[in-house]
Amino acid sequence: MSHCSISSLQMLGFLTARQSGLDDPLRMRRAESTRRVLSLTLDPDRDVDRIHGNGINTIDIEAVEGRYMLSGGADGVIVIYDLENYSGKLQYTCKAVCTVGRSSRHVHKFSVETVQWYPFDTGMFVSSSFDKTMKVWDTETLKPAEVFQFEGNVYSHHLSPIARKHSLVAVGTNNPKIQLCDLKSGSRIHVLQGHRAEVLSVRWSPRYEHILATASADSKVNVWDVRRASGSLFTLDQHNGEKSKASAEAVNTAHNGRVNGLCFTSDGLYLLTTGTDDRMRLWNSASGENTLVNYGKVCNESRKKLQFAVSRGCSPDFVFVPCGSSVAVYALHTGELVTMLRGHYNNVDCCEFHQDHQELYSGGKDSNILAWVPVLRTADVEDESNNDNKGAAGLSAVNPAFQDAWSSDED
Amino acid sequence: MNRKRALISDTFNLKKRRKGSEKFGAGNDKDEPKDIKSTLEYLMTLFPRKLFNDTLPQVVLKHQLYSIHNDKTLVDKEVNKLRECGELLMFQLGFDSEAFGLVFTSDYKTKVLAGEEGKGTRTTVEKFLEKVLPSCTDLSFSKDKMLKVFLFTDSEITQLVKSGVLTVREAGSWWLSIPNSGKFTKYFIQGRKAVLGMVRKSKYGEVLQADLEERRTTSQVKFPLRYHVHDIVGAELVESIPTTSGTLLRFVDS
Repeated sequence: MSHCSISSLQMLGFLTARQSGLDDPLRMRRAESTRRVLSLTLDPDRDVDRIHGNGINTIDIEAVEGRYMLSGGADGVIVIYDLENYSGKLQYTCKAVCTVGRSSRHVHKFSVETVQWYPFDTGMFVSSSFDKTMKVWDTETLKPAEVFQFEGNVYSHHLSPIARKHSLVAVGTNNPKIQLCDLKSGSRIHVLQGHRAEVLSVRWSPRYEHILATASADSKVNVWDVRRASGSLFTLDQHNGEKSKASAEAVNTAHNGRVNGLCFTSDGLYLLTTGTDDRMRLWNSASGENTLVNYGKVCNESRKKLQFAVSRGCSPDFVFVPCGSSVAVYALHTGELVTMLRGHYNNVDCCEFHQDHQELYSGGKDSNILAWVPVLRTADVEDESNNDNKGAAGLSAVNPAFQDAWSSDED
Repeated sequence: MNRKRALISDTFNLKKRRKGSEKFGAGNDKDEPKDIKSTLEYLMTLFPRKLFNDTLPQVVLKHQLYSIHNDKTLVDKEVNKLRECGELLMFQLGFDSEAFGLVFTSDYKTKVLAGEEGKGTRTTVEKFLEKVLPSCTDLSFSKDKMLKVFLFTDSEITQLVKSGVLTVREAGSWWLSIPNSGKFTKYFIQGRKAVLGMVRKSKYGEVLQADLEERRTTSQVKFPLRYHVHDIVGAELVESIPTTSGTLLRFVDS
């Protein structure tokens, strides 16, 4: 018993309680997920293949297996990486499986702003770019099956992760009108009108397949039901109707500046927005009410959309926001800054949370994608000295959790 | 290399060491206070009453509380609670849409009435303080509200603006304000700029808080230095970093 550290003891406590039925099975999973997120650190053993020659604007991890990651860069290049480690060694590089490079006939002419896997399988992915097109790619052949042409730069697009009844892609461009493109028929007649300036970010709700949130440079965030013929359902108001708090122009605005980031929590009940007024706000997505959680100053100078992520399955949940050249981690409901993840050499533009492994991937202007993983439980001091005594080779490649800390030497 | 500061959550019954709350060396001599009201009272003592010949009530800025308490959302909630029960008044100070001034209601009433001694507008101001303040926690009032809900006449509103209790926001709407607070705003902005300049011009743009508080201030800084330090830390104009020699303030370039 003396070999175990305190946290392993508690882990065993959780396991026993779960086995005997004292605890709900979810409780231990949540506690462990939270512990893992709190111990996120730059992984010294894992590298992501460096293919991009320029900044990385967007990354997406597929939802089916969590194995493949897409990235889009400022050079117009799109790369697919395999995140799994089958080499058996602790130190490995996430290899690029395939690339749509500058030599490809179909590559985007200017920077790729958004990439997203088709939510249901990895046979297809969609990318949109400042060359005013959105391309639907066949992963096998790396050729676009469909190209949608627009009149202005495409800042953001999103496919609903849960849609069964429709296959619409919402597209936010330079134009204040939001286009809905249908993947099945190729039509794009459905247009959502309501914003007065360029639309920087669009996001479908992960809870209801017809609800869409859009953020614009006119400081407003609109929530739409695409089945309705008339305008938006509601506009987010940062003052919750209290017209007294600020000047009249600020009424019915979500931020005091351009709104450039949108993220739903994984249960779809809350919506996070970030704006160039250096604020992040948490909204109740059903009523549009500002929950008034105060995150303090969330530095935001991006003139394009900001990609940030929320954890899932932890208690409490965390928000990961790129902040200058680091990633800030906030507790979702209290607004407390938990830590800053430093490691990039230049601005961080996007980050994505791997839900099942509690890992964070972030990409930035320094052309690097960094992987942040939970620190493994450290071996006890007694265990380490025992190993030294037995003359074991330097760095053990075995996860300390699998080390035999129980058997007695006398057996 | 082990991370020296592993953040372990409460579920494992280990102390969750949050960034910034570790007390090193010559750190905080003030224990982390439990409630907002006592922090407010402490900050009020930093306000220089003599500078304004005691005509102004003691004003504290809401973000100064953030420099003492870690949880901003909790601070906001507590401040709203105090406002709801009528103990605290909040004002939009005008130079920054996010800078709110806080004054204890009793203080405010005393000073305003004292300032109105012998003036013709006294009765109207009294009526305003009795009728409006207890019932309404808004920061601004529209013409409709003043005429219909509170039953003030146009001339009475003019008197209120003249006495300084209301300030024009735009046509047909007014901010609640502190009479004679123009001087306060002027000295405050001047002092804030000077103190920020002191931090920025230091070597590497950073200075230990203890060192800064020892320094001699120019004539630009009329308020006690601590008042300004709480302000710039709370407004996140400087980053507050705990070190083994005490808290370090680093200028934030934005």
